[in-house]
Amino acid sequence: MSKKSKLDFETKIISQIKADEIKMKPKWYFILGSLLAFSSLIGLSMGIIFLVNLSLFLIRRNGPFNSGKLQFILSTFPWWVPTIAIGGIVLAIWLLRKYDLSYKKNFPLIILIFVLAVLSAGLLLDRLGLNEYLSRGRMRRYYQQFETQDINKNPVKGIRQNYKQLNNR
Amino acid sequence: MHKLSKLTDEEVVELTRTKDKESYAEIIRRYQDKLMRYATYILRDEDKAADVVQESFIKAYVNLNGFNTKKKFSSWIYRIVHNQAINLIEKHKKELPMLENIDFDSGVDIEKEYSKGEIVKMVKRCLGQMPVLYKEPLSLYFLEDKSYIEISDILRIPIGTVGTRINRAKVLMKKYVKKK
Repeated sequence: MSKKSKLDFETKIISQIKADEIKMKPKWYFILGSLLAFSSLIGLSMGIIFLVNLSLFLIRRNGPFNSGKLQFILSTFPWWVPTIAIGGIVLAIWLLRKYDLSYKKNFPLIILIFVLAVLSAGLLLDRLGLNEYLSRGRMRRYYQQFETQDINKNPVKGIRQNYKQLNNR
Repeated sequence: MHKLSKLTDEEVVELTRTKDKESYAEIIRRYQDKLMRYATYILRDEDKAADVVQESFIKAYVNLNGFNTKKKFSSWIYRIVHNQAINLIEKHKKELPMLENIDFDSGVDIEKEYSKGEIVKMVKRCLGQMPVLYKEPLSLYFLEDKSYIEISDILRIPIGTVGTRINRAKVLMKKYVKKK
């Protein structure tokens, strides 16, 4: 490399710094970035756990083997719930890759642990009866959406469910 | 000036961030030759390498507050140059294809067979023919004297992968030398 271009780096960049043409990003910008990434990861994980739990609840409630007709289950199941859960997992893995541990540790193992952890947490919440609790509490309207879907797609099953609910009351 | 030269990279960075922006010149002086050499090995073009290094110095300055002074500054700045160079290569898509038909399991240990000086000469001769995948760890290890840990931090790959790539690069290098 010539001496001229050596000099150029220093003089060019320092003159730009002096003239304020290039400025350092403030410290808070990086702190905010890290906080956002971390809270996104936490929020995303919680969202995935809830959606996994909801998917399990819907599978159980629709009962893949109850109706005996696979085609019917495929047409009535709200596929957006597991789809968003899977999308969330992909996004979470992408976020995890931003951290140092992605190359310093065994990353495929980290992904496996993460996926297993969110699936187990979702399963645990479903087993603990979170959906039943929520469908009777504040999120009643939200859970009613799925029942309305059932009534629209299968009036007989919907009427049967409403009848059961009325009896329970 | 005399005082600055006694400080570590990380101390100069801290000084630049908090008190004296112009002390960044010290960082440029310390790294311009090393980074130019490294970028030229990857890109095989001195003009492009100069652009990449200049852009990297600017990017490093802009993001200086994001650097953690508990870590090694040299790995951080090499990482920036690596990213800039890879972006440029991807733009031009001039990457050499992966040599899949090569047998990498021949257990080559050129460090026992050749002296350090001979290896450096050999590496310089062969770099142009190697894919970037092997060129980078090879140049960092033999020409820039970086440790496996530093290479792992620069390329953001596991240490085991660094070892594998360097060993494969040695195999390729020996094959190139034999061909000649």
